Amino acid sequence: MKQFKTLAVVLMALVLAACSTGPKVSYGDATAVETTTTGFGSTDLQTIAATLVDDLLSFPPIVQMTANSRPVVFVDKIKNKTTEHIDTESITDSVQTKLLKSGKFRFVDMTAVKAVQEQLNFQMESGMVDPAKAVAFGRQTGAEFMLHGNLSSIVKRNSGTQDVYYKFTLKLVNLESGIMEWAGEKEIRKTGEKTFFSL
Amino acid sequence: MNTYHKKALPLVLSAMLLGGCAVNETATVAVDGNNKQQILESNSGFLAASLEIADTKVGYAGDLMKAQVTIKNGSRSDLNFHYKFKWLDKDDFEIAIDGRPWTPLSITAYESKTVQAIAPNPTAKSFRILVQD
Repeated sequence: MKQFKTLAVVLMALVLAACSTGPKVSYGDATAVETTTTGFGSTDLQTIAATLVDDLLSFPPIVQMTANSRPVVFVDKIKNKTTEHIDTESITDSVQTKLLKSGKFRFVDMTAVKAVQEQLNFQMESGMVDPAKAVAFGRQTGAEFMLHGNLSSIVKRNSGTQDVYYKFTLKLVNLESGIMEWAGEKEIRKTGEKTFFSL
Repeated sequence: MNTYHKKALPLVLSAMLLGGCAVNETATVAVDGNNKQQILESNSGFLAASLEIADTKVGYAGDLMKAQVTIKNGSRSDLNFHYKFKWLDKDDFEIAIDGRPWTPLSITAYESKTVQAIAPNPTAKSFRILVQD
């Protein structure tokens, strides 16, 4: 009987050990609200992109401008004026993708200029590409508009609470006239409190 | 308090705490392009009982559909929940899946709040709003 009990315990231990090998990994909803810390997170990025794209696409002069044409836009860098390291290009990438998919705007990709230039040089100068089928120099379309902006934050804290305020501003400027055709702002406030369990 | 109760109480309390953290309910409102149809689909008791869709409006910004939903908190306590818009084309295929994030919203007791969204492209013909806590 005692041997049977020992065997059962050993078997249970083996089963438990087999179940608990390695860390527990699971997939989550990428669009779910994320509140791990008060730092800039995925929910902030997605909310900023969705709000500003909605604002731009519903602004009456922009609706009129994009009714019969798809203006060409280039995206400048977003200045990160916060104290955090934030990949602002990721925010503009989301904005750019949503605008492109709306069918209202087209973009020139300034992040790929060097690679494009190298490819054109290869086609023209390597002698490996049929000149009749090579892409010609000097035929690219120039951008009519520029998207640029700022991300700033105000952080305040006391012994128990941390308050973070983010403001993202995005502007659409007409490159020929210099006129700012649209500007949009998104503000986010996050408050973190120390709880009994986090002490 | 005997030994059994001493052991059982923390277990029951832990279970209640964990249960309280794991509430995840979703309710859906579907509205077609003519603003005629409203269906409240719900697998939740709490949100469906507390929230009421007071009004829905559908309009256009150029050829892009825009939607406005007024949500009313009919309960006597403040509600913190998340909402998300889904856009559907004329054949009820979802457009830009995961294109919009769950957005947090707080509504105080008996208050109404309005949320808006613009369709991701001109093929959108109806929308749904999902809420979860």
